[in-house]
Amino acid sequence: MQGEVLANTEDFGGPDPVTGPARAALAGKDAPYARYDLARAYDEMFAPDGRPRSPYIALDSRLTSLAMEELVRRQHACEQSFLHQGITFTVYNDNQATERIIPTDLLPRIVTAGEWERIERGLTQRITALNLFLRDIYGDGRVLKDGIVPREMIYGSKHYRREMRGLPVPHGSYVNICGSDLVRNEAGDFVVLEDNLRVPSGVSYMLANRDVARRAFPGVFRSMNVRPIEHYPLELLATLRALAPFEQDVSIAILTPGVFNSAYFEHAFLARQMGVELVEGRDLLVNDNVVYTRTTSGLKRIDVIYRRIDDDFVDPLIFREDSSLGVSGLFNAYRAGNVVIANALGTGVADDKAIYAYVPRLIRYYLSEEPILDNVETFLCREEKSLKHVLANLDKLVVKAVGESGGYGMLVGPHASQAERDVFAEKLKSDPENYIAQPTIQLSTAPTFVGDGVEARHVDLRPFILTGNETKIVPGALTRVALKRGSLVVNSSQGGGSKDTWVLSR
Amino acid sequence: MLSRVADSLYWMSRYVERAEHTARIMAVKLESMIEQQPEDARASWARVVEALQDAHWDDLPHDAPTITKRLVFDRENESSLLASLGFARDNARQVREALSNEVWGNLNRLYLHLSGVQGDAIWVHSPALLFRDVLDEMQALEGVTYSTLSHGEGWYFLELGKYIERVQLLGRLLDVHFRQGGVTPKYFDWLVLLKFCTAFEPYTKLYTASIRPQKIAEFLLFDPEFPHSIRFSIDRVTEALARVAPGAPPARRAAVERLAGRLKASVDFGQIDELMSGGIAVFLSDLTRQCEKIHEALFASYITYGAETVL
Repeated sequence: MQGEVLANTEDFGGPDPVTGPARAALAGKDAPYARYDLARAYDEMFAPDGRPRSPYIALDSRLTSLAMEELVRRQHACEQSFLHQGITFTVYNDNQATERIIPTDLLPRIVTAGEWERIERGLTQRITALNLFLRDIYGDGRVLKDGIVPREMIYGSKHYRREMRGLPVPHGSYVNICGSDLVRNEAGDFVVLEDNLRVPSGVSYMLANRDVARRAFPGVFRSMNVRPIEHYPLELLATLRALAPFEQDVSIAILTPGVFNSAYFEHAFLARQMGVELVEGRDLLVNDNVVYTRTTSGLKRIDVIYRRIDDDFVDPLIFREDSSLGVSGLFNAYRAGNVVIANALGTGVADDKAIYAYVPRLIRYYLSEEPILDNVETFLCREEKSLKHVLANLDKLVVKAVGESGGYGMLVGPHASQAERDVFAEKLKSDPENYIAQPTIQLSTAPTFVGDGVEARHVDLRPFILTGNETKIVPGALTRVALKRGSLVVNSSQGGGSKDTWVLSR
Repeated sequence: MLSRVADSLYWMSRYVERAEHTARIMAVKLESMIEQQPEDARASWARVVEALQDAHWDDLPHDAPTITKRLVFDRENESSLLASLGFARDNARQVREALSNEVWGNLNRLYLHLSGVQGDAIWVHSPALLFRDVLDEMQALEGVTYSTLSHGEGWYFLELGKYIERVQLLGRLLDVHFRQGGVTPKYFDWLVLLKFCTAFEPYTKLYTASIRPQKIAEFLLFDPEFPHSIRFSIDRVTEALARVAPGAPPARRAAVERLAGRLKASVDFGQIDELMSGGIAVFLSDLTRQCEKIHEALFASYITYGAETVL
């Protein structure tokens, strides 16, 4: 959908709808923006001529009138607040455990009503197709028989779960909680970079960041008609309830790997916000294919489990036998229909980076519609022609291992040394099926508070899509920020931070 | 309530109680020490160390800073104030979803505060100030624990942890002061003992300011109204036991409550004059043993019970 107007004009009418007062040049001019770099990327806040885009006019005027020391103070207060609330993850170095906060930027990223409407429709379309795809490959395999997707890509995937074949899931929804990563390309279009269909995290940061940004810019917030996101836990609860085979007294639990997991804060947060039990594997037991938790008064039955542990660890009897995180017999209880697990097992087969390349075709195949949101152009190294192209253009491409996530197993060609590229080229030749490549996309940049000024940093966008008997997307997202100047890697495990996302109402 | 959650709440509360007890003793000790002769101060430090430490120290240091370092800031020492707070916080984090933001936030801030203190720096001014600050924060923690959590089962597990720990801590403190043999405490030491238990003024209201060891023992053991007396603590334990695990099978409940009834009877019918003639150490160690049995029965009945016994 290149060329479609993603216009910021849809909300803000007027004679000069796109931009505010002219700013001759950003660099060296205005104090907060002295180091603001309007490079090749699309900038969320400033048009190429340096004038703020209309949704950002209010924020811009606040930033230029606010003393930077005040912003420093607010940033510090925010960091203290995260630390005190325990919104931290633990880094282990030389047997020393250090607690760190995931850096949060005070400045909101703004998404207009028009942009959001398209994102919402596009993601709904996409998750609908992906759920149909999962139902198909664990069922009749029509998509394989029709030759849309090569058989060996499914049956050879380490995330394919044979045990799921022929097993019905409620409403045909395999992926109940999805976190998709979108980026905005140089043309200003949102495209999908990745679908996270297993155990996506980050939603608690979406909510925590809202508190931070609203406190930092109360006036701007009030003036902008930002859509609320605080009902996310309610929507999640409704989604999980809808998975149970009955309506009354559904007993729901979140299954966490425990306090040492980097997302433990989120697990506890969601349990508290929804008012459901937070359990670890050791709290659960299975008897006669029914799942119970051990309470002080005796055993209590569990109907729906929102699991925050990977497939491999769910049930040591079926999957990894060395897992102490899961519950013996859980899969049999699941197969017997006595407990629902969300997300269903085996969803990872549909979010690996090779299947990703097929998603537009899957949308056309299952829904007979054109994709609303585009993919990033993707070369499958398994195809000989693509492999040649990739090897010849390693310095321009990002190469990713198919089964990995979190920024691991990845080569960013333009930023790598020749030696690093040579090593990767060998890997590609010896195991081409395990790799895909994409052009380096200049992720859009957004204003980010750095030190004592505002600088441009690359960002992505992760909305959260809930699907029980219907699909719902709370109008908000986690905007992840690559905090290092020029870096394109936004993952928190690789030094990324995050910021609030304001979706505007019409 | 999940058994694991009950377990963590109980231990969190025990460690908070231990931390508060240590902080209070340190504050009082450091404030009072300047008024003591060196040999009296040394005997007094020996009592404090023995009352606060699980392990015996063969090498009692001669100076207050070194003792303080080990009792407060030494993370290797599992009974130190910082270690207790760390354990309390670890347990709280395990059950973050069962606590309010206020309770977690207060405990977390307190831990971060104390772990950021340089142990040597407190000696520049009045070292007791740090512990007075810590006590203020602990009282705030106790306040929000009372006022922001529902007084349901989880809260009663907190109560159990707090008061079972308090009985044990008080028992040890009384033991090192009243046992036969060793250096006999002097008038000033009895005064300090009352202050260790925040009991000076409540005591004088009942017995006037005449400081007599037998009266002090009677007050700290048997007073039914003072929160830092053993009898008061045991009453809270029996009350809390009646409120936890409401749906547990009667046989399981009876196993715990029978032990609690026995413990309560020990203090309800205790006579101070019988104890003062040398039986106090035996009495205190019996109380401690009974508390340990209640702890074991509590876990066996509600927390670690075998699933096969209820299926």
